[in-house]
Amino acid sequence: MTTVMERPESLNGPAIEQVPQRPWSKRPAKFWIATAIAVVVPIAVVGLIYSADVTPPAILLTVIYFPLQLLAAGLAALVTKGKHGILDSCIIVLAIGATALSAIVLGSMLFTIIARGIEAFRPSFIFQNSVYISPSTPLDYGGIGHAIIGTFLIVGIAAIISVPLGIATAVYVTEVRGRAVPYVRFFVQAMSGVPSVVAGLFVLTVFILTGVLRQSALAGAIAYAILMLPTVARTAEEVLRLVPEELRTGALALGSTRARVVSKVVIPAAKTGIITAVLLGVARVVGETAPLLLTALKNDQTVVNPISDPISALPTFIFDNVAQPYPDAVTRAWGAALALMILVAILFTVTRYLGGRKRSA
Amino acid sequence: MATDTPMRDLSGSKKAHRGDRIFNRTITGAAFTSLLVLAGITIFLGAQTIPVLQDQGLSFLTTTVWDTTGVPPEYGIAGMLYGSLLLAVIALVIAVPVSLFLAVFMVFMAPAKLSKILTNLIDLMAAIPSVIIGLWAFYVLVPPAEEWQQLLNQYLGWIPLFANDSGNFSGTPFMAGLVLAIMMIPIVTSITAEVLKRTPPELINAAESLGCSMWTMLRYVALPFGRGGIVGGIMLGLGRALGETIAVFFVLKIVFDINFFNILESGGGSVATLIVSKFGETNGEFEVQVLLAAGFFLFLGTLFVNALANLIVRRTERLRS
Repeated sequence: MTTVMERPESLNGPAIEQVPQRPWSKRPAKFWIATAIAVVVPIAVVGLIYSADVTPPAILLTVIYFPLQLLAAGLAALVTKGKHGILDSCIIVLAIGATALSAIVLGSMLFTIIARGIEAFRPSFIFQNSVYISPSTPLDYGGIGHAIIGTFLIVGIAAIISVPLGIATAVYVTEVRGRAVPYVRFFVQAMSGVPSVVAGLFVLTVFILTGVLRQSALAGAIAYAILMLPTVARTAEEVLRLVPEELRTGALALGSTRARVVSKVVIPAAKTGIITAVLLGVARVVGETAPLLLTALKNDQTVVNPISDPISALPTFIFDNVAQPYPDAVTRAWGAALALMILVAILFTVTRYLGGRKRSA
Repeated sequence: MATDTPMRDLSGSKKAHRGDRIFNRTITGAAFTSLLVLAGITIFLGAQTIPVLQDQGLSFLTTTVWDTTGVPPEYGIAGMLYGSLLLAVIALVIAVPVSLFLAVFMVFMAPAKLSKILTNLIDLMAAIPSVIIGLWAFYVLVPPAEEWQQLLNQYLGWIPLFANDSGNFSGTPFMAGLVLAIMMIPIVTSITAEVLKRTPPELINAAESLGCSMWTMLRYVALPFGRGGIVGGIMLGLGRALGETIAVFFVLKIVFDINFFNILESGGGSVATLIVSKFGETNGEFEVQVLLAAGFFLFLGTLFVNALANLIVRRTERLRS
């Protein structure tokens, strides 16, 4: 599994790899002509309206083009395939429409993040902190260095806490195989549904209101660890399951203790997968804002001591600057968003690469 | 795939190696962290909820007052609880059809290469942090969406659902639902696509050789086969929508009165967002406790939805095997 999101358990079955070839599905010329007309006519009509009138494109697309395209496709299908084709052609139009819509949304997000974020990017923005910087300070001063350090510090501590526990949970399910396996899996599953703000509230009640910790990187990291643990545990479980049973029985037959089988055979065999699990866990939490608002607050200074002071991270920095009435502050938010997105993209690409290599091997 | 063969035989018995016993116990202990955390959340947040309920009574859950300065102060989160549900329903209504058609396109229509690219893009979309989606929504989505809402109101305003008397279209439940839908689409799509991909090819081929159209095949083969997984995926998305905080924070105006169904009217509620937006201005321990109590009920709600989702998914899995 190489995706960044959690998936239900039932999905671990054989997938269809190859779509069967259908040589008999050659289409007659009539079909292509009807399709061409059904594609060209609505575009032409909407193009004409667009050039003649001032209707905003979004409205034009949803209210005029989309129904028109459905109608045209339906008619074309009626002509070429008869009554039964109408629903089919509508499904095709709807499916392409849904895909286009999602692509537009994703494209718009990525485009704005890059286009607006690049305005803020300069060396000082990456390396300086925001001490003495007010929302109205020009972009040439101050930056997100402290927030980047904060993010690395918090995520790093969270990984130190959650990775051993997550792997131990996976080892329990796949290696120890105790009686409680179904319950453990159920609890991990349930834990993955804990809203991030609740994780923050939990740390707030247990550690901060009781005076054990101040609002700091460590407190934020504990909240992050709660959110990370289920992702690490479930992905690690999946990769440990892929380790061939022969390796375990072979090592046992040679006289290894169980602890050694796990530490010297099973985990090394699944090394890449474990790294993927850790990275997926990091990707799950790196952009979480709500828990940090409750447990780490913010700080314009660079903080490296995980327990002494409140600390800013990239998400909280963005959060603080979004709704400011100063354009420079907003640009800083976009710049931080670009930095965060680059982190996410790196994690995403590396997990994809590792996952792909594992599958082909 | 690991099978349930012999590994466990010795682990509990006295014959097991001493190091192994320690190993087993350590791992077993660590495996229960998740239970510990869940129990911890229930106990600690629950303990904070008791004084709030004692002080406010059940009116904490049934009224819509939020009077922090009154003597005595009064708090009621009915509007928030209802608002969270309303937002989730709006998000579902928008996201589910889009996700289903997107998944159908990916699995049954797109060429293999395009399908692979789309899978990656959908996963990338799921990986975008919610604060960035909130930022994007605030500056890019909201201005045109306010216009769409005005048009919707102009032409369909006679339906009470789309009524708007104030003329103010900012911070509406519709807008927040739209943003939640954008966050749900990748979750529901990727699960639906995975489920649809697992439709046995024999069944699809049989349907096609019987002359079924795409619609018939979907309606009578693929969707019934994947129903449990798809419903489970939708429920997981729902759980995510209920707990979402930050993206909603930027696009919804928190109003304590219940906004029953005027989704184009400014103002709505969301428990998660309430917690974050009020946390900064709390004074006194009791107000923090009030927010913790709200969080407790949010936790119970999402736990319930997620448990239900997993139950559905697991039951279909058993039926299938």
